[in-house]
Amino acid sequence: MTAPVVEASCRSILPDGSMLTITATRRPRAGRADVKCSVPGAPAQAERMQHVVRLARHTEPRYDSRDQVVLSADRALDAATRDWELAAVLADRIVRGVFQAARPVVANGWSDAWHLGRIDGRALVNVPDGVLAGGPDALPHLGALTGQPDPVAATASARAWFPLHSGGDHDGLGWVEVSVRPLAGALDADDDAISVADLDALRQGQVRSVLAGARHFDGRGQGQWKTTVRFGETGFSGDSYGLALVMADRIARGREFMARGRVIATGTSSAWHAGKVETVDALAPKCALILREAGPGDRILLPKAWEGALPQGMREALRARGASLACVERIGII
Amino acid sequence: MLGSLFRNPLRRPPRQDAFDATLLGSVAIALPAPAGITIPAPCAAVLVDRGGRSRRLASGSRIAALEGETAWCVHPGPYTCDLVPFAGAPEIGLHVSFAVDASDPRATHQRFDLFLASEAGSAVDLAGFGALAQTALQRELAQGNLELPPCTTLEEWNTFRSGFNQLMYTRFGVTVDDCVPVDLGATHDYPALLEARLAAQAVLATPAATAEPAAAMPAEAFVPACEDARALRRLFLELPCLMCAVRMAVLPADQGRFRQHQELLRRLDLVSLSVGTMPALELAAPGQPLAPEEQLRRARHSRRAAAALDEAWALLARMKVAGEGPLDVLFDEADRIVANLEVETGARRVTYVQDEVTA
Repeated sequence: MTAPVVEASCRSILPDGSMLTITATRRPRAGRADVKCSVPGAPAQAERMQHVVRLARHTEPRYDSRDQVVLSADRALDAATRDWELAAVLADRIVRGVFQAARPVVANGWSDAWHLGRIDGRALVNVPDGVLAGGPDALPHLGALTGQPDPVAATASARAWFPLHSGGDHDGLGWVEVSVRPLAGALDADDDAISVADLDALRQGQVRSVLAGARHFDGRGQGQWKTTVRFGETGFSGDSYGLALVMADRIARGREFMARGRVIATGTSSAWHAGKVETVDALAPKCALILREAGPGDRILLPKAWEGALPQGMREALRARGASLACVERIGII
Repeated sequence: MLGSLFRNPLRRPPRQDAFDATLLGSVAIALPAPAGITIPAPCAAVLVDRGGRSRRLASGSRIAALEGETAWCVHPGPYTCDLVPFAGAPEIGLHVSFAVDASDPRATHQRFDLFLASEAGSAVDLAGFGALAQTALQRELAQGNLELPPCTTLEEWNTFRSGFNQLMYTRFGVTVDDCVPVDLGATHDYPALLEARLAAQAVLATPAATAEPAAAMPAEAFVPACEDARALRRLFLELPCLMCAVRMAVLPADQGRFRQHQELLRRLDLVSLSVGTMPALELAAPGQPLAPEEQLRRARHSRRAAAALDEAWALLARMKVAGEGPLDVLFDEADRIVANLEVETGARRVTYVQDEVTA
């Protein structure tokens, strides 16, 4: 367990283009309120912020009454803008160690249902790179930060992460998201029920055949779902995203145990219909990348063939950080 | 004031006429038994008096309840049920078979008897018990105290099993004989579930479209008096047993740990005292009624205190499984849970809250 930091901040872009910073500080509670907020010159907005943060805490499984979190905004907020809400919620989570961000967070989003963790939208129109944007087309609910499906939505979607290229210093993790919606009509299993936006035709075909194979292995999920696959970044290379895609699909369809954090996977297969996971290249740079990026609760899945050749001390380093690693040769239950 | 709790008219008295021994062992785990019947063969009887003390009678004997005692007939099982470990993954589950523990001669208090005394209103049916077990399991998994990650390896599965077995034994007093992962696709059809959710949302959306977008949390529907009495009864009966178990679960290795342990027990004792002297729900002061919304607030705090009690039992299970190594983490968890208990019982006592944004 890593000790939570005592001060954290999260930024948000205001409608006039300026940057708002919300600073959260954690201190012993000593009989005071659990959340205290201050917004210069706008006590009503401070009250609103306290309300939002308290509601969002309802989605957390663990309740700790020992600390007080003080949130303060560095400039006045007018009543019309609500885009700072996500930043306030995230600042509150970062300072208590509930959400761990690798880099400074800029977030925009508002919601009418924070107690469900849902993020309804954002006012920001042009979202710059690296900004966490709330809303159905980007970050639809708080659990999506770690790829979990929303437990109350009628569309089940899950994300899994994979190394975009072959690891290395300039590589990063990208996500693939699979959303499934029940197919109302009695359509038979045709590939058109799987839509893959923003990929070229060759890649689209690849994604469809991977999903078809994995669902065939499963014995369920054929002709039942309308599926949408999205990638966080489309500029990835190779086919080692296959395992991540299959895991996201299985989690979205409610057929896989879940990790508390993200699922990070690399692996491919020529026989998904048999559930086999085959090896991929670039063991050392990918392991280094994963070791760099993994956080508490993350689950790392690697091909079985890598088991003997893992870098010295990788398992222990991951375990110390609260992540776990498994080398798998088949998908499915044990 | 707690005496009023046990005379609460809202608690249904156990129905004396509905004793059907054929249900036991299949759909019912325990049934309230009328006095005077002979206990049928594999069952045992548990008799609980008003103060929560229990005794067992073996099969074949006649139930002779003393004044104020309630009798249950308990079938040891085995029972099987399917649990869904993750609410978000309804098509994968655990097929669990368990049995009610036979009387353990080493323990002064059987955990299952305590469960009957404090939580079972009247009958304990298998479905209701399964739902309780599932809630306990889901919470442990969500908090990361038990792990069941995607593509669980055999080693991780064994760790999970030992934690789960101990959780079920410590929390409910049942022993898990077998537990295997199963595909629940046939019974829990996820597409159908999502369809139902979609339909429910469509119904909800119609009136909400006219009303202003409510930012507040919808009020939960529960009867404050029932909920409060149930939660306080649980706290009143279970806290002393929990303290006893915590005292025995840890053998302090050095002076520092001993102090920590003592401090924890002392605080638990104070919480227990606070529960035992809890003011009545409906009174602000003697003869002065309390506003309904304040009663609702009080009941909500009782319920959250009972939730912290559940966490405490789960933590006790982890203490029993863990060796010396992770004791620091476990004591920190204990500190958190006891702090939550203190805050909730404290808030249950007050008659109004003064909540300031800038406090």
